[in-house]
Amino acid sequence: MRRVLSIWFPQLPLDRLARLGDPRLAGAFAVVCEVKRAWRLADVNEAARKSGLAPGLPLSDARAICPDLATEPADTAREEALLRSLARWADSLSPRVALDPPDGLLLDITGCAHLFGGERVMAEHAQLRLEDMRMSIRAGIADTRAAAWALARFGGRAVGIADPGCTLAALEPMPLAALNLPPQLGSELRRTGLRTIGDLHAVKPAEAARRFGFELVDLLARALGHAPDPLRFQSPSPVYAARMTLPEPVGLAEDLEGVIGKLAASVCGRLQTAQCGARHFRLTVGRVDSVEQALSIGFARPCHDPRAIIQQFSPTLETLKLEFGADRFRLSASHVEPVRIRQETLDRQTRRQDDADRIVTTLGNRLGFDRVHRFVARASHLPEREYETAEAMNCRSESEWSDTPRKRPLRLYRRPERLRVLAPGCPPKRFEWRGVAFETKRADGPERLSAEWWRDEAAATRDYWRVQTESGPRLWLLTYPARKGVGWFVAGRFP
Amino acid sequence: MSSLREQVRNIMAIPASASKALARSLETIQPRKHGYLVVAEPVRLSKGRFHEVTGEAADLFAIVAAARMEGPVVWAGLERDVASLAPTALQTFLDPARFIVAACVSRTEILWAAEQALRSPSAACVVAELRDGPDLRESRRLQIAAEEGGSIGLALISGRACASAAETRWRCEALSESDLAWLWTLTKNRKGRLGAWRAKWIGRRNNAQGAVHLVSAAAA
Repeated sequence: MRRVLSIWFPQLPLDRLARLGDPRLAGAFAVVCEVKRAWRLADVNEAARKSGLAPGLPLSDARAICPDLATEPADTAREEALLRSLARWADSLSPRVALDPPDGLLLDITGCAHLFGGERVMAEHAQLRLEDMRMSIRAGIADTRAAAWALARFGGRAVGIADPGCTLAALEPMPLAALNLPPQLGSELRRTGLRTIGDLHAVKPAEAARRFGFELVDLLARALGHAPDPLRFQSPSPVYAARMTLPEPVGLAEDLEGVIGKLAASVCGRLQTAQCGARHFRLTVGRVDSVEQALSIGFARPCHDPRAIIQQFSPTLETLKLEFGADRFRLSASHVEPVRIRQETLDRQTRRQDDADRIVTTLGNRLGFDRVHRFVARASHLPEREYETAEAMNCRSESEWSDTPRKRPLRLYRRPERLRVLAPGCPPKRFEWRGVAFETKRADGPERLSAEWWRDEAAATRDYWRVQTESGPRLWLLTYPARKGVGWFVAGRFP
Repeated sequence: MSSLREQVRNIMAIPASASKALARSLETIQPRKHGYLVVAEPVRLSKGRFHEVTGEAADLFAIVAAARMEGPVVWAGLERDVASLAPTALQTFLDPARFIVAACVSRTEILWAAEQALRSPSAACVVAELRDGPDLRESRRLQIAAEEGGSIGLALISGRACASAAETRWRCEALSESDLAWLWTLTKNRKGRLGAWRAKWIGRRNNAQGAVHLVSAAAA
């Protein structure tokens, strides 16, 4: 016989703020949310309730009733995250936990309750533990999910239990709202004079279906266990992290490396079983005086090798300031990606790619990954937009270099450098650049480039000249034909 | 007799640190053989060594050397120096995808990055773009790193060159006769003779690695 435990957090948004230690909760306080373009109270605390506020009240009315009301907009994302972490905690009660958004959990506790000494003891245990976490709860246990849901919310007790086979008896006195009806159906039923689930059960299903549609009959059948009502359990999202707390603080580099080695072995073991690797690792070190410090390293390719992790962490360890030592450590992996296992020794190309990635990893962890670049081709006729530099860490795709490259300088100065004309000409016959005088021997040009009209920036048309100087250097001179008297610039140097 | 015994005991008891140092010095006396890179016969660069390149077209010498090899090319330099490196022109010589560019903020970082890259066995060529040349200490460290990895290290010097442990020192200037032609002058060589060559890039159309043609050789 299946048994379902439904846990309801009646004031999840308030509890979330209370857990954060919000001082405003001492006075009248409400969590508000926007419904149909009006701010309404979603949840009120005890002090606010005493002064006459209730959920659903418009905020303006609430302010008139209770002028010193403090409010906070609801943060659904954080509430959802809290619910998810509570679901992870609920693993300790039963391995099968389903989320029941926005404010509940559903657990299949078939065959679990005796481990706690009975269903009631189990529910009370859950209540106590959750109250320790400053979460107020209501619980209901029944044969079906809908019945457990109803018992938690409409049972009127902290723990409502319907014994096996007694679902109907437990549900009979409950209002119809306990069936979790769609709002329209609920108001329609109220008009016909049906108040409780018992009233509805007395009506023949065929008649109820003809009058109110099949949905209502189906809901009742599910609640009573006549129709199947499967739960969708949350597949536990794997957490690639490990923590370690030491009895005595440590501070020596070798000890820290030992700790990292153990943590990394644990995390990497899990990554390896999942055939995954992570590209980012973060080590949080908790000092004795409860100050936390964090180090993070990156990898150019997903990694699940503990030795590589230690190797990358060890040079950064000296940046930690461990005054009296640290005793809490946590290593977590993120950017988890599947690892393709490849033959190691046969393919030279593969090994070279691995080695290049290793160089990028080592350089990036010290210099910063935004400082290690690779070149990526782009389609543009402007010399400075023909390519871009991409972070080597994230540069996966092979870029397409054109087969017939344009004649471009090897050194392209991002800001063309002004030169001093010594003997005029087009291009200048003699000029001075970077303190050196040059004499033009051959000149080739102009190569006229106009701006990209589809871009907003109004850039002037440019004339480029390839100039072979008498002394050797081949320079790329630039002038703007549309601007009179703007002078000449050196845009680059050719190979 | 007893004093003689004492002397013998003193001689025998080499402290552990000293013996370790001795072993290390023996190791450095017999460096591993890494072979050469033939840029164009007779211009050779020994692998597992680090070389200095000065002159206006120093970066071209490094690129030509890198083009004659396979594998990633690590280019470390100050951010403003490496930012001007444009890959379109690199395509004449080698595949720009081979380049890993490290933009550093200080000379120490450049030297560190070059050392790390030299230690890794895969980097074909490691180029450190420095203003002033490495001094004896810095160059010795680069030399040891290059010996470990077996790749070629090149220090591009635009400023003053110091006395250093570099294997060779080159001076490279562009020639005004034609495109892609340079004058390479070997100004220092620890093992071998000096020389000057006029080099011209032939291209990599038929030969994937590209080829350099030495127009003429002149004793320096």
